[in-house]
Amino acid sequence: MVMNPIVAKALEEGRYKLLEHESFELLRQYNIPVPDFALVQDVNEALKVVKDIGYPVALKVVSPDIIHKSDVGGVILNINNDDELRSACERIRINIREKAPYARVSGFLLQRMVPEGLETIVGATKDPIFGHVIAFGLGGVMVEVLQDVSFRIVPVTEEDARAMIREIKGYRLFNGYRNMPVRDEEAVVYIITRFSELLSENPNIVEADLNPVIVLERGKGAYAADARFIIGTA
Amino acid sequence: MEAQSQVQQSKSIESQLVITSPLDLLFNPRSVAIIGATPRENSVGGVITKNLLTKFKGKVYLVNPKYDEVNGVKYYKSILDVQDEVDSAVIVVPAPTVPKVVDECIRKGVKVAIIISGGFSEVGEEGAKLENELKRIVQNRIRVLGPNCIGVYNAFNGLDTFFLPEDRMGRPKPGPVALISNSGAVAGAILDWAARRNIGVGLAVNYGNKLDINEAELLEYFARDSRVRVIVMYMEGLKYPGEGRKLLDVMREVVSIKPIVVYKAGRTKAASGAVRSHTAALAGNYEIYRAMLRQAGVIEADNLTDAFDMAKALATQPLPRGNRVLIITDSGGMGIQSVDALDMRGLQVPELSESLQEILRKQLPPLAVTRNPIDLTGSATDAMYKFVLDTVLPTSYVDMALIIALMQIPGLTINLSNYIVEARRFNKPIVVVSFGGNEYVAKFENHLEENGIPVYHAPHRAAKALWALYEYAKIKGVVRGW
Repeated sequence: MVMNPIVAKALEEGRYKLLEHESFELLRQYNIPVPDFALVQDVNEALKVVKDIGYPVALKVVSPDIIHKSDVGGVILNINNDDELRSACERIRINIREKAPYARVSGFLLQRMVPEGLETIVGATKDPIFGHVIAFGLGGVMVEVLQDVSFRIVPVTEEDARAMIREIKGYRLFNGYRNMPVRDEEAVVYIITRFSELLSENPNIVEADLNPVIVLERGKGAYAADARFIIGTA
Repeated sequence: MEAQSQVQQSKSIESQLVITSPLDLLFNPRSVAIIGATPRENSVGGVITKNLLTKFKGKVYLVNPKYDEVNGVKYYKSILDVQDEVDSAVIVVPAPTVPKVVDECIRKGVKVAIIISGGFSEVGEEGAKLENELKRIVQNRIRVLGPNCIGVYNAFNGLDTFFLPEDRMGRPKPGPVALISNSGAVAGAILDWAARRNIGVGLAVNYGNKLDINEAELLEYFARDSRVRVIVMYMEGLKYPGEGRKLLDVMREVVSIKPIVVYKAGRTKAASGAVRSHTAALAGNYEIYRAMLRQAGVIEADNLTDAFDMAKALATQPLPRGNRVLIITDSGGMGIQSVDALDMRGLQVPELSESLQEILRKQLPPLAVTRNPIDLTGSATDAMYKFVLDTVLPTSYVDMALIIALMQIPGLTINLSNYIVEARRFNKPIVVVSFGGNEYVAKFENHLEENGIPVYHAPHRAAKALWALYEYAKIKGVVRGW
């Protein structure tokens, strides 16, 4: 199997983690829906590119040295116009200078904001005996505190994916609990099976999180709004 | 000529088996050599020697340079001295001698070795070195079960390498359940337990350190063996990189042929340490194992009793076409407990149609409840059970039956078991709940079980058995709407 160029490049550069735009690019290669995005170097480029992406957008610092972007003030959400975008660029630059002065900055990720929806997590680890294992749960405290998570071993079929979604206790939230809309379950099934394919074809991925995967109402799809890939040499 | 071969074929089940893989010879060898055979009764080798000499329906060759002949049975100095063909060797010599003995088996052309001897990777570094040496000798030239295992039990042909004496470990009768156990001692205890309860575990195997033959291959074999109707597996953990995926694939395939019930021990964090030191396996992450079982369509048991409760039903009952249960009881309380237990597992107890209830009311005493559960009360008789079974079970309102018969009431006799057995003709699953200690109850239960109706001593156990049938029916795609 030929190594994916994105993964190969990271390994070549001695990185164990994919950069934000690399992660989104990898997802895009597997048809996993991601919000429109672009990597920009400065405010002028951002102002140009945003015309294609359209407001509202989020701006995130991209750096091989920063693990938790929001902890250093490297993320600004809900930017609605050019003025706000200008000041967001400036704000992040100042934050990084103060809180992570030695971090290398590869650029900024400009990303279209996804409408609000049900927040879920699709994750993966690589087990020595079973290979890649995919986890699914609801975002927020549900996964960590209540451990309301289901697992399946790669390759995950559509049927497996459907079963793992329905297995979690929080599944009721997919069916229009109280005034909430019915969620696009099949869009999540699709994401999970594509994610399974991605993992099968990239044995170097040792850990991955699509967090959050935002699930819109039925018929409107689901998006991986953020992604993290850890790679290894096996 | 043709007539003659037919006579020969009908002589025994063994001769009907087509030998297509070395694992056929693991379970059904025509001849077995015991290397390390001994007349010393209470030693490991001694028990195996006695087992095979008295029970095995095939040729047995004893190998031990210390003896020439004991009680008229010849001992060979080495397997190489045996003139005839030998299919299988049971090896019970000290660990350091095992590589040499296996090498001789290969030279002799033996196809399968069951290495009972311990003292390999399970005891640390020295042992692991010895195991590696053994692996180098084996190299696909002979198939190996073990080392450090209790081996094979085959109730059909008397092949029995379980080195536990008969007075300590009962041997189950031939039957449709096959057992694959991660632990030798647990395998022994299960067989003893099954023998006492008259459960037919026809084939059992423990693979010890798994140098060669593993769970996946054993499953594949049992899937092909027509004597096996359900496979029970006791699992602690896997140990080799990548074998989880392989096992998942094999399980999925086997489940399309016959049901597998697994009890996975080592579920908690506290237990994972014990599992590691026990089998030298990597700590099993239970969540991942559970994912594998669900993905494969394997039915998971909560403990060993649970596993056999379900296996008993899977081995004897047809699959239901839906999840609706008819309950017939002579105790309102037991009826309620059953409804609870069924509901918790997603099975339904539908209220019967008014017209059907009307038919029942005409024949049943006024106090009987006809909605479902059908409560015949303490004035129940055999005939009332028969009437309800024959009237309701064949209708399209129910898919299976849970019959509660507390035999302590005077209106019930052993004849009820005949009526229940006759209801098998409706081709829907039937399980019975019976509870009590007197001999009459025991006779009733035995008669049912001998005629293919599983009996449980509590409603929740019967409910779980019906659930297992329903789960497997969904997997097999026989349930309406699935």
